[in-house]
Amino acid sequence: MIIERSSEWEEGFNNRLNHLEQWQSWTLYKMSYDTVKMKLIPDFTGLQATKYLPNLQPLKHQLEAAETVIERMNGKAILADEVGLGKTIEAGLILKEYLIRGLVKRALILAPASLINQWIEELNSKFHIPAMAYKKNCPIERYDVLIMSMDTAKKSPHKERIYEQDYDMIIIDEAHKLKNNKTQIYEFVQGLKKKFCLLLTATPIQNDVFELYYLISLLKPGHLGNYDTFQSAFSASKHHLEHDDYLKELVNQVMVRNRREDTGIDWTNRCVQIVPITFTDEEREVYDMLGALGGASSFSLITLQKEMCSSKEATALTLTNMLEDHTHSQEIEAILAKLMALEVNSKAQKTLEIVKQANDKVIIFTEYRATQIYLQWYLHANGITSVLFNGKFNKSKRDYMKHLFKERAQVLIATEAGGEGINLQFCHHVINYDLPWNPMKLEQRIGRVHRLGQEHDVHIYNLAIENTIEEKILALLHTKIDVFEKVVGDLDAILTNFKESV
Amino acid sequence: MYPQQVQHYLKEFFMENNCTILGEEHHYLTVQLTVDIDKRIMNRPFYWQYIEATNSEPNPAQVTFITNQAAMAGNLFGEAIHYGSPRLNRLFQATRELGAYVQLFEKVDGDMGQVILTPWLGVNFKVSYCCDRTKEMLYSFGINLLTGVIKEDFHDMICASEFDTEPAENVFHVQYIIKPIRALERLKATIDKMIEQDDHSWATEAQKRWQRDQRVLDYFYEGVDDKPECYEIERKALEEQYASKIKIEIINGGIFYLF
Repeated sequence: MIIERSSEWEEGFNNRLNHLEQWQSWTLYKMSYDTVKMKLIPDFTGLQATKYLPNLQPLKHQLEAAETVIERMNGKAILADEVGLGKTIEAGLILKEYLIRGLVKRALILAPASLINQWIEELNSKFHIPAMAYKKNCPIERYDVLIMSMDTAKKSPHKERIYEQDYDMIIIDEAHKLKNNKTQIYEFVQGLKKKFCLLLTATPIQNDVFELYYLISLLKPGHLGNYDTFQSAFSASKHHLEHDDYLKELVNQVMVRNRREDTGIDWTNRCVQIVPITFTDEEREVYDMLGALGGASSFSLITLQKEMCSSKEATALTLTNMLEDHTHSQEIEAILAKLMALEVNSKAQKTLEIVKQANDKVIIFTEYRATQIYLQWYLHANGITSVLFNGKFNKSKRDYMKHLFKERAQVLIATEAGGEGINLQFCHHVINYDLPWNPMKLEQRIGRVHRLGQEHDVHIYNLAIENTIEEKILALLHTKIDVFEKVVGDLDAILTNFKESV
Repeated sequence: MYPQQVQHYLKEFFMENNCTILGEEHHYLTVQLTVDIDKRIMNRPFYWQYIEATNSEPNPAQVTFITNQAAMAGNLFGEAIHYGSPRLNRLFQATRELGAYVQLFEKVDGDMGQVILTPWLGVNFKVSYCCDRTKEMLYSFGINLLTGVIKEDFHDMICASEFDTEPAENVFHVQYIIKPIRALERLKATIDKMIEQDDHSWATEAQKRWQRDQRVLDYFYEGVDDKPECYEIERKALEEQYASKIKIEIINGGIFYLF
């Protein structure tokens, strides 16, 4: 056993015996003893952090998560609570506990750029942890708790600077960005020393089970075996696996996942429905023509068909771009002509109907900028006010748009990137105008409104056009959700309240 | 630590360090800091660097500490302070630095005639058991510098007594026979012995957790001849996480002449 002794006190004592320094006050001597006694950590287990945070009232599930991670998982875990349950609070509690216990001196936090300020604010004000944001020329060796964006961290010369530091704890927010082991950020994190490590994500599986495998292999390499043994043990392919009970058991050894329904908090209902839409004959004709377009890759055909399910504006943009160097330009011109002649957008009509019926604030998510602009025009023509929201907006513009939506407009039209990091509890209706391939994107979108602080039932409308690619997307979404539930655990309704058997 | 305990602590600390209390109610305290205390608790090294470099007139801060925000009424500008807040931690640190060494003579009644005081060395130790978890213990020992007798819970024994910093006229204090530095060695040996006899299943458990994780890691790289750098990084991380050690530090101590 290593025994560390500090000789600091002895030196001062010697100086005083030799009359080199003054003796000190008995009152302060007693105060010092009392303080040390009060701050003593009396046991290996149990949380000390709460004593130091009188102004923070963590929820029961957050305290339990912190204790589980420290005592059962030895400080290496995936925090996978559903969106809106306070994963940041859990991470803050764990970090604080390790700081108090002296087990962590320095910590590195990686987060998306848009969430850095929120992290700094929360750690400083709620946890009294002096966290600092990374800046190009800042003396990072003097910062004990450093927060930076993944995009910065993975690049030179920042990468090298971080590697030179010695961190005891690594926290990664939105950790599903590490789902692919071939990316720069994955390699960067792999090269970090992870004495204690927290990966935060509500969606540890987005598309397939290998994403979870890579995430866990980053946290605890070998926990699920190496790639080959994992694949053969669970007969895993993208959307299929066996022995899922055993896998779930292994996953639960390194993952904490609280669901809304087991938090003991009274959640409002989530009413989810799929709204089927039928194309007009004219729309159908163009859709079929797109499917038969010669000389295009199957990828671009799928893209075009998806866009056609959204708006003619989105489709036209892609088609026009294809015109330039395409062998079938005449065919494309013909489709374009038909497309531009279309007068009705069935999906937009349905959307308008839902917005009018809701007679309340509504968020519409679309995947295409062109559709976003079209919808704003279309709603405006029908007397409905709306604001736009994009991921590219900076913080002040985001806040301004949120403010406009709250105070002035009935509808917020957001593109995909608008899904992260904004909280809109004052709204109770979400229309998924286009369906993404990834079910977790839907969960993230719904999480903007269905989170702590929501007082009303929330209504989710998933629009899908019959007999189109959107029906295939729906089927695939069901399959992916099924894999997620088998391995990670149940999910709140994303597509519909009625579960379909796959 | 409740708000009123914090309030009491602040008052005692500032009064003991010659900082003038300018105003107080049950929920706040306004104080004029001295230069020394400002440097210790206000965390503004650049200001003090500047003052010293330019030889300017120092202007130590005047601060209002609000110990109970809930009890606040009206306009009061100040800094909220509570258990866990960074400022209070700085005060704790300052207390520790300013209350580390004492030499004291027990007060005796003047009408007792000539009395003899015996020298003791008292030391308070903090012992920490660390692996991926921690536990701390506080030990207080006193050793009689004439006889070498060692007493446990020494601090509790003397903390209610009153002391002078200089010997009174009617007391005769015996010079020590055992040198304080020698005596300290004996106390350290006592601590070592206590640690040796303690239950260390915590370390065995940590060792088991370490081995388990090491096996998992090795499994991941099984059959790989040239193990990549990340293997070494992970291996080192496990060592830092689980390797058990014991830290011994001295909180404070001093020479006590006891009746």
